[in-house]
Amino acid sequence: MNMRMNRVVLAGILLVLIENGVLPWLIPSAWSGRLMPHLTFVLAVYVAGYAGRHRAFLFGLGFGLLGDVLYYGSLIGPYAFGMGLIGYAAGLLLERKPLTLAAAMGVTAMGSAALGTIVYMIYRLFRLTPWSYGFSFYWYIAPSLLLEVLIALALYLPVRRFLLKPSSSSSEESAG
Amino acid sequence: MRNKRLFILMIGLIVFIAVMGFTLGRTRLTWPEKFLNDAVGTVQGALYRPVGAVVDFFGDLGRLSDVYKENQQLRQTVAQYAQDQATYNFIEAENERLKEELNFTERQKQLYKYRYLIAQVVGSSSNPLDRTIKINLGARDGIKPQMAVTTTDGLVGLVSRVSEFTSTVEPITELDPESPQGVQIAATIFGKEKDSFGIIDSYDAKSGMLQMVKIDENDKMAVGDKVITSGLGNVFPRGIVIGTVVNRQDGDFGLTQKAMVEPAAKFDHLQEVFVVAVPDVNGP
Repeated sequence: MNMRMNRVVLAGILLVLIENGVLPWLIPSAWSGRLMPHLTFVLAVYVAGYAGRHRAFLFGLGFGLLGDVLYYGSLIGPYAFGMGLIGYAAGLLLERKPLTLAAAMGVTAMGSAALGTIVYMIYRLFRLTPWSYGFSFYWYIAPSLLLEVLIALALYLPVRRFLLKPSSSSSEESAG
Repeated sequence: MRNKRLFILMIGLIVFIAVMGFTLGRTRLTWPEKFLNDAVGTVQGALYRPVGAVVDFFGDLGRLSDVYKENQQLRQTVAQYAQDQATYNFIEAENERLKEELNFTERQKQLYKYRYLIAQVVGSSSNPLDRTIKINLGARDGIKPQMAVTTTDGLVGLVSRVSEFTSTVEPITELDPESPQGVQIAATIFGKEKDSFGIIDSYDAKSGMLQMVKIDENDKMAVGDKVITSGLGNVFPRGIVIGTVVNRQDGDFGLTQKAMVEPAAKFDHLQEVFVVAVPDVNGP
């Protein structure tokens, strides 16, 4: 149940760079405004599962804020707030049982929908988006959610391999 | 224990609402923000450009068959350009002479001498409600907020925030007439600059079209015309291609008309953009 937090933070920074530097190139033009996965959010779910809710809260808050500051459009804070809150909530959900792949993907899906909704509501509150919630959900929340679930699947092995402390990971493997 | 959690959540909510309200509509950045932007922007440039080059290479392989056709078109265009260049030189010389004779001030003469600064894109945001791109020119290179950013295809957006070595560009797909700092772009039609005027004020993600409003009923704009910036007001450079008129219809109140404009530039997979520096004419 212990993560190497130094490596996790490094991995987070790497994911920020990939999220804004590499992913925009891999997404086809027709989907460019619709598929916008948040890699650091997926990692925050893993932090919630392996390192507990407090660390997930801090991780989500920190990397959400980093993303907000780096790509400061209208305001700072929606992702910091959303990712912090959902990191904590995911930690609460995953506290009891060991993190299986299915649980990670399920929580990522729920969290992604919740994060999209929270951010949409903040933008709606400040009248920064003309879109209705139904359209936003169809336009980007649902497609990004599916992609984030796939990314959770892709990150599962690397996270277990590189970001967990070896003793705990082996004991968990024997347990699960 | 439950109450404590709830209490912290409420405090957090209040703090964040305050932060969001405070950062809303602010154009200046504090030094930690600038530092973060510059540090990450520099590193990210080293990642974004090679990946872009590789992706472009494979894209080009797929388009090889079109190259022949494109080449023919370009030849025709070049021939046209040679003619236009000759005409242009005559007209420019005459224009200069007339300006001298009419005693234009230095300020008036410099009005339309724009500088085009080449910038590399280093990243684009992953926030679908607030899409921004980051470029590797900043305050050190003379970038200021509200400068126009274009590609060879057309207008991409406006510089929204500037730090020392990087700046953030807000694409014109983020135009929203209801937003607190609603930017509007005065536009006209290429070839009908005297007879056409309209204001580009919003973008519709569903159809991928810009909306041009406040068009006069007797305006000579027609479907298929090329929309360019008019430069009225001298904040925004003139003559930058925005897009093509797709349809024209009555406006919301029936007094003026509106038109849908298909943007000429694409807003993703960008590599090189030009920042248009307007000579500072509003200064004293």
